[in-house]
Amino acid sequence: MNQPKFSVWLKLLWMFLKVNILSPSGPASIGLLYKEAVGTIMTEERFVEAVGFSNVLPGSEALKLAMFVGFAAGGIPGVLTALLGAIIPPTFLMLIVSAILERFQQEGWIGGFVAGMSPAVAALIVVVSWELFRASTRKKIDHRVILIAILSAIAFWFEAPSPLVLLAAGTLGIFLFGNRSLK
Amino acid sequence: MDQLLELFLIFLKVNLLSTSGPASVGLLYSEVVGNLITEGQFVQAVGLSSVLPGSDALQLAMYIGYAVGGIPGGFVALTASILPPTIIILGVTVILHRLRRQAWISNFVDGLAPAISVLMLFTAWKIFQKGGSMGWEGWAVGLISLVAMASQKVPERIVIIIAGIVGVIFLS
Repeated sequence: MNQPKFSVWLKLLWMFLKVNILSPSGPASIGLLYKEAVGTIMTEERFVEAVGFSNVLPGSEALKLAMFVGFAAGGIPGVLTALLGAIIPPTFLMLIVSAILERFQQEGWIGGFVAGMSPAVAALIVVVSWELFRASTRKKIDHRVILIAILSAIAFWFEAPSPLVLLAAGTLGIFLFGNRSLK
Repeated sequence: MDQLLELFLIFLKVNLLSTSGPASVGLLYSEVVGNLITEGQFVQAVGLSSVLPGSDALQLAMYIGYAVGGIPGGFVALTASILPPTIIILGVTVILHRLRRQAWISNFVDGLAPAISVLMLFTAWKIFQKGGSMGWEGWAVGLISLVAMASQKVPERIVIIIAGIVGVIFLS
């Protein structure tokens, strides 16, 4: 870590470009990033801390992770280079694909493609939802999580605005889980 | 211009109230489908973002932004998605370095998680219902995909692509 700053930044940029081209999503990139970053630019301990942290803060997981690793390796400029590396591949690819797809939007096969994908996308969402729920209960298998889940289910059932329900759930979390840090 | 502002605010809100790209799908659905994009476009956005490599959150933003307002729309949605985590992380790493373990933000997110899961189940049902293939074919594709993904033996992107191809062949 005693190399000149510039080469650290280049390394970061290259590392995140690579990780974000090779991994399908934010959570999936953790394994690959681990191999790339631990031992070379940061210690295992800091990496675990970064992963834990990106789980408890709002926003895109890939970006949060990139910023933590970037910060550990190269301060604020490190944050910006890592961010750039994480942003460019996925968005550029998506831009190309959306531009191409737009030309076919009126064609019949797109309708079939969407009709076939819909049930699979619904299944994907169910799987992610279950993983998310399990991850939130693994820390503490308790009635508070269940309570929030039931209350929000009732709210969504009566078609309350989703942002309000989420905001309320988070606020409830502050009160319900708030005493945890006092022990 | 109004649409760009609306895009910006929606993505700001969605990225403040969700912990990762896949987890933001439920909220995003309720915010954009019907007023900015169609059901079909949303399915394409989610499907493509899980097929293409890289952050799902940014790809969802790019697709929806582009669909609503072309390239400027894409960049507006992208910026709004990048801002919340960036500001929060910079704040946490630089300023709140010591307060981390007790941060109320972490309790907020713990409360958020179960509600996000429930919202996603509702969203999954809506997407399934309005997917246009409500017969036995839809159920078959849905259940097979669910089993394949839940078993964790088949990568999700492969399942999505196969389902799309099955749709092109049998449902067009």
